[in-house]
Amino acid sequence: MKRYELIVIGAGPAGLSAAVEAANAGMSVAVFDENARPGGQLFKQIHKFFGSKEHQAKIRGFRIGQQLLKQAEEAGVEVHLNSVVMGIFDLGEITVQHGDGVCHYKGDSILIATGACENMVPFDGWTLPGVMGAGAAQTMMNLHGVQPGSRVLMVGSGNVGLVVSFQLLQGGVEVAAVIDAAPQIGGYGVHAAKLARIGVPFYLSHTIVKAEGTDHVTGAVIAQVDESFRPIAGTEKHLDVDTVCIAVGLSPMSQLARMAGCEMTEKGGAVPVVDEYGQTSIPGLFVAGDVGGIEEASSAMIGGRIAGAAAARRSGYLPEEEFREKASALKASLGQLHEGMFSPKNKGRRDLTVTDEGYLLSKTLLHHGYLSEEEVAGFPGAAPGKSAGIHPVIECTQNIPCNPCQDACRFGCIRVGDHMTALPAVAENARCVGCGMCVASCPGQAIFLVNDEEEAGTATVTLPYEFLPVPEKGAKGVALGRDGRVVCPAEVVEAKTAGFMDGTVLLTMRVPLEMSMKARFFKTGEGTK
Amino acid sequence: MMRIQKHPILDRIQKGRQVTFSLDGKPMQGYEGEPIAAALLAAGVRVHRYTTKARQPRGIFCAIGRCTDCVMVVDGKPNVRTCVTPLKEGMRVQTQVGISAKKESDDHETI
Amino acid sequence: MSRLLDRNREIGAFVPQQDDDLIICRCEEITKGEIRRAVHEGMWTLTEVKRFLRAGMGLCQGQTCGRLVKGIVAKELGVRPSELEDTTARCPTRPVEMQVFGNEVHGHE
Repeated sequence: MKRYELIVIGAGPAGLSAAVEAANAGMSVAVFDENARPGGQLFKQIHKFFGSKEHQAKIRGFRIGQQLLKQAEEAGVEVHLNSVVMGIFDLGEITVQHGDGVCHYKGDSILIATGACENMVPFDGWTLPGVMGAGAAQTMMNLHGVQPGSRVLMVGSGNVGLVVSFQLLQGGVEVAAVIDAAPQIGGYGVHAAKLARIGVPFYLSHTIVKAEGTDHVTGAVIAQVDESFRPIAGTEKHLDVDTVCIAVGLSPMSQLARMAGCEMTEKGGAVPVVDEYGQTSIPGLFVAGDVGGIEEASSAMIGGRIAGAAAARRSGYLPEEEFREKASALKASLGQLHEGMFSPKNKGRRDLTVTDEGYLLSKTLLHHGYLSEEEVAGFPGAAPGKSAGIHPVIECTQNIPCNPCQDACRFGCIRVGDHMTALPAVAENARCVGCGMCVASCPGQAIFLVNDEEEAGTATVTLPYEFLPVPEKGAKGVALGRDGRVVCPAEVVEAKTAGFMDGTVLLTMRVPLEMSMKARFFKTGEGTK
Repeated sequence: MMRIQKHPILDRIQKGRQVTFSLDGKPMQGYEGEPIAAALLAAGVRVHRYTTKARQPRGIFCAIGRCTDCVMVVDGKPNVRTCVTPLKEGMRVQTQVGISAKKESDDHETI
Repeated sequence: MSRLLDRNREIGAFVPQQDDDLIICRCEEITKGEIRRAVHEGMWTLTEVKRFLRAGMGLCQGQTCGRLVKGIVAKELGVRPSELEDTTARCPTRPVEMQVFGNEVHGHE
């Protein structure tokens, strides 16, 4: 039976981060994962992450995954794929299925980082081919390069539903609508805004009643719900779709922790009770990542590092003093991610009405996915009163831990401040040169460059564009407003990108002067669907 | 469903060589090493099996090998999870009915 | 006595509902109505429901239906889902063929 100082179960962001931390401290580490590829859900994330520089903000999820794998390799971590950990037993023993045989291993410390699985909501027709988890759609598209369908209904408006909907559009798949039984959008407003400006409708307080079809989905019926989430007769709407994606939350896959006999508690599912470093009630058995409570990849990676360091301390590789310093710094970093409107302590709250600074939270954003023009002008990022020359307009109106915009501008035009949950503001005397760095750096794609050309009676609007085909210079089309409706004719002035923008194109369009604070997306041609 | 030829963000996904396999006796094309389910989806095939009790159609649901809805009979073996099993040249894939292969002489069943 | 331990507690009669023929356990094709009826026939724990109906005993081992079954049983019993004890987690965590299970390999490259 082969013995390791640390066995990690799950090669996702938490598991790999822990393995790297422990291996760098000197431990012999093996990671076991049942999948053919490492990285867990990380490689399917093609959007830029939020947070700050230390949280790897504005880097796409899959690139963070590639970096993590490289670090694991360099640190000498053994990663065993296609290896199912079938059981966990006393004294740190596990049994693993590799191919057609079973091996036993022993770990001085064991870290369970098995992640979470998608929740389901059953409805008439939910077993038809074409109804799948949002994660399944992501997997088929981003890992295997095949469209999951041609027209999708997304059920669930949390970040997973919003992000996957955008990814579907990027993969050339139509999104007929995003629905949620709740009365407001569950995920970040900026993620919803990206969809709304392309014309994707949101139906809040709606649920799916039926998926139609004999052998596969050919349509769906949705209906409005009452306060008890029961469908209201007579409100049924039919949608022409061939795919239904379900994004209604995640539950921890904590079977191994239960098998080991950990003391469990309830946190969106059964999770082990842990100390501040992730150690369960069983000494030497740790958990990290979603299996300990659903958050996201950024927190999973920090949580993994904390647990890895704790395992290293336990085996004597990290002196107590050094461990406490390291753990303290990591916990502070993790703490930053736990702040803001969407922090764990605010989970499920629908009674928030103002931002930390006292600005009124946009109701249309929460209910329809877009800000009204009047609301935008009221926020510090929209630079009210500053209209001479090119300047950024930042449509970021919720407190989220995120600040790459501040770092992006080398002229100091954008300020978030020491607390990265603060709303970004455009400096009074900002000397914007129109480089577009801020536009490309915003993970929420919420920054635009606006230049009112008073004399010509026109204005240019520069927006982040991440679709194919990229409209060419001179292309004529229409500009869409924040709600996805055509607002005016538009012409492409420029479409440029650079390597470090990692695929984000800066698209500049010319519109009538009075449309500069309305036009937010470009469509070639008439813009009709 | 179409294969994504060019993606705005992702680099071209590395695929193995093109290979031929069969679905219920019919020749099909796919890329060596990709999940059987991916090759089927790209060819527009969505029904993988019919359930034991109610003979209801099932296909891809979780796509990561956990839900077992996508299982088919592969090279004579039933309950093979097609979303995590790599395609090989000459594989015999059959629509599963209950836990056996659909007879090739059967017409396409509808409920 | 705990609401779950007192088997004489009245939980009301089984009332048929419109969505009773909704499939909940996809692998074994068990419907919502069957699960609800099982509770009224005396299956008050997830383990009993599982063994009585096979819900959660199919190929996916309850990965998909587990949470749903828990919610349905809890509602029928008038308790919160978190009050119900989960079914026992045992080795193997994923279905494995007997010939593989019995094939102990020493050392792994």
